[in-house]
Amino acid sequence: MTNEHAASGHEPKQRHRTEGPQKHIVAFVLSLALTVIAFAAVSAGEINTTFTYIILVGMAILQVFVQMAFWMHLKDRGHLFPIIAILGGVFVVFLLVIMAVYWLWW
Amino acid sequence: MDWLTTVDHKKIGILYLLAGGLFFIVGGLEAILIRIQLIKPQNNFVGADTFNELITMHGTTMIFLAAMPLLFALMNAVVPLQIGARDVAFPFLNSLGFWTFFFGGVMLNVSWFTGHVPDAGWTSYVPLAGPTYSSNHGIDYYVIGLQIAGIGTLLGGINFMATIINMRAPGMTFMRMPMFTWTIFVTSVLIVFAFPALTVGLVALMFDRLFAANFFEPGNGGNTVLWEHIFWVFGHPEVYILILPAFGVISEVVSTFARKRLFGYSSMVFATFLIAFLGFMVWAHHMFTTGLGPTANALFSIATMLIAVPTGVKIFNWLFTLWGGSIRFTAASLFAIGFIPTFVMGGVTGVMLASAPADFQYHDTYFVVAHFHYVIVGGLIMGIFAGLHYWWPKMFGRMLNETLGKLTFWTFIIGFHMTFFVQHFLGLLGMPRRVWTYLPGQGFDTLNLISTIGAFLMGVGTICFLINVVATSVKPRNAADDPWEDGRSLEWSIPSPPPEYNFKQTPLVRGYDAWWKEKMEGNREMTPAEPVGPIHMPSPSILPLVMSIGLFIAGFGFMYHRMYLIVIGLVITFGCMFLRSVIDDHGFHIEPEEQERGVHA
Amino acid sequence: MSAHEQAEGYLPHEPEKATLEGRNKILGFWIFLGAETVLFGTLFSAFIALRHNVMDGPTPAHLFELPMVFAATMILLTSSLTSVFAVQAMHRHKVGQMIGWLIVTVVLGLGFLGLEITEFNNYANEGHRFSTSAFSSSFYTLVGFHGGHVAFGVLWISLLIAQIFKKGLTTVTAPKIYVSAIYWHFIDVVWVFIFTVVYLMGKVG
Repeated sequence: MTNEHAASGHEPKQRHRTEGPQKHIVAFVLSLALTVIAFAAVSAGEINTTFTYIILVGMAILQVFVQMAFWMHLKDRGHLFPIIAILGGVFVVFLLVIMAVYWLWW
Repeated sequence: MDWLTTVDHKKIGILYLLAGGLFFIVGGLEAILIRIQLIKPQNNFVGADTFNELITMHGTTMIFLAAMPLLFALMNAVVPLQIGARDVAFPFLNSLGFWTFFFGGVMLNVSWFTGHVPDAGWTSYVPLAGPTYSSNHGIDYYVIGLQIAGIGTLLGGINFMATIINMRAPGMTFMRMPMFTWTIFVTSVLIVFAFPALTVGLVALMFDRLFAANFFEPGNGGNTVLWEHIFWVFGHPEVYILILPAFGVISEVVSTFARKRLFGYSSMVFATFLIAFLGFMVWAHHMFTTGLGPTANALFSIATMLIAVPTGVKIFNWLFTLWGGSIRFTAASLFAIGFIPTFVMGGVTGVMLASAPADFQYHDTYFVVAHFHYVIVGGLIMGIFAGLHYWWPKMFGRMLNETLGKLTFWTFIIGFHMTFFVQHFLGLLGMPRRVWTYLPGQGFDTLNLISTIGAFLMGVGTICFLINVVATSVKPRNAADDPWEDGRSLEWSIPSPPPEYNFKQTPLVRGYDAWWKEKMEGNREMTPAEPVGPIHMPSPSILPLVMSIGLFIAGFGFMYHRMYLIVIGLVITFGCMFLRSVIDDHGFHIEPEEQERGVHA
Repeated sequence: MSAHEQAEGYLPHEPEKATLEGRNKILGFWIFLGAETVLFGTLFSAFIALRHNVMDGPTPAHLFELPMVFAATMILLTSSLTSVFAVQAMHRHKVGQMIGWLIVTVVLGLGFLGLEITEFNNYANEGHRFSTSAFSSSFYTLVGFHGGHVAFGVLWISLLIAQIFKKGLTTVTAPKIYVSAIYWHFIDVVWVFIFTVVYLMGKVG
């Protein structure tokens, strides 16, 4: 709907360094490890409840960071607005979760 | 037929204006009926049940089906022009947003014809709105109608965010955008983050009512206050969604008709963000009396009062813009100038309500009713009237009649203050909200009478406006590009109404108040940023209309437990989504020869 | 305009970002994900508020079987990785590989759904039904919405595979693949919170 042309150049046959799968496989392994730790913490059954919760939430947040940074490209350039979009949503969710948790435990 | 398939933001803006205007009249009639019932004590113009239906539908219609669409009308008509774009980022979705809103609104109002009308207030609190105490289909119309309409709003929010981020003309950095565009941007952010909470709340209520879920059933472990939390997490940002665009309109109108640059642009932008941010943190001020405890109440009180600060910044900036300006009183500027003290009055009663201990007295009285009508009607509606008078020539190529416009202003504002100023005192005297009648001898009688007369006067004002619209529509379509002569932003640099493609050549923006800047340097047109060439336009489509009808049918299916309707409706909707994905729409081109002849929208 | 370039057989390096429409679609989709974050967040907070109210139904500690949840998690996690590989193949213009990875993603997604349906069926037999309690309603709504998103994703990606067969990889179809991959990653991210908050915290008590 405008006269703009494709932003990416018309350079034919240019060698672009496409990223390899390595970083993503690392992200996979990390996610796997974080998942296993979380499941293990619960299955072990001997850890104090509050501490278990902290481990669970911690592992989840870390895993989400890993997946969003690598698999969803948030660490790459040109992703400022996507980051803002997600952070905005997270902010509202944070308020909601505090409401729910406070409600139960106050 | 063109209107049913259009994806052009200018036409969609007019569709929103028509539909929003229509629902505004419906909501206004509901208001008149309410006020007639309350004109004297122990009146029985309508029964108690009908009264509950009237107040529910008045609130729901005015907020969701009148105010928001009228704002979307201005958004659609103006924002792409102000940023130098040829359309929004997703024209198809824009159309879909309109039609889902429209059918959601139709669904809500169909309820009047079935005799099962929503009657639990626009906030639909449980357990009253739950399956036990509202066993007829009234609340289902509310739940499903709003759900469908809400989809449209969310799509619109996403659309405008993407448009403003990605489609500004070259040279238009964020800090060179007009203030109206800024407020629409922040409003879109609010829509994107607030509406999903409403979606979940409505889903939960729907599941409780139709599928025997237990979200809000205390007997089965549910919690009724949960509804209030979820609703108000949406509901409070919603009122900022309503008012921020009006703030944007005021900024535009005040600076144009004072012939002066907006004072404190950066602080205006910052204040807008701050209002939006804080707006998410205050929802429980609607729940002070539900037993949250003193700590929570204190925190929410303080957060609420804080919002007065950025709002005050805006008020002062408008006043400083007017000060020393060369002020011209037109209908548009009268509405904008009338807005300022009226909104301030609403704002200060808001700060009064923000004090939790005081609120224990004000809660559920007419004091609250007075407050929110001051900010919504005295604020938002006046802002919409200002925007309509201001941008009417750009949208329709004709100037609204100034005399009728001024008459609209005076009748409306006098009627408004008559109606709602006295309601503060009614509240302080102890008259509760949402009561269908009251006993004599409590000091309520005269005030209610005055309030009702004021309501009629507002009706007169609205009729004046409608007469103006009709009278103007028969005049020739010969408005100038820059009919106010003092236009500052890009929309005034193109014909009124604009050609289908808006800008023959995308303009190069060299500063804030881009058009004013060019004019002050003696240029008669904007500097183009590209050569003349074929312009690529999106194709029209009937799919948005059909998809919305599908949702409408499915909604009835859910409500009346008719599986075949659900299936038919969803098949239609998903079928259209499938077609949209599979059939490539490459649009069409408008060649330079056609552009010379002026392709009109 | 964008499809014309394909006539020359030339495809840009990141075809999904090569056109304004493509970039708009990607940005618009991220904004939509911001909204989806709030949507799931609200469902989560309702669940958190109601999770202890089991009434006469079985408790989460009693109901949930971690091995099955772990298996489902592994399946979804792997499918997210395969969708990354699909997008990388797309960037290398290896259409055949891309389709292959997308098919694997869809199959894994179906596997996840199969496990979930079995799981829900088991629960129903154990007296944990939608209407049993506030806990059960919010459980099924939250986990069910996620499952619904997985199902939609499976259908969507399958449809896209068919489109690629028919139209090939172009600057019009590339954004669709990219966006569907972002969607698929997002629902894996949501699942991380589901298995943590619903299942693991449910087991702990």
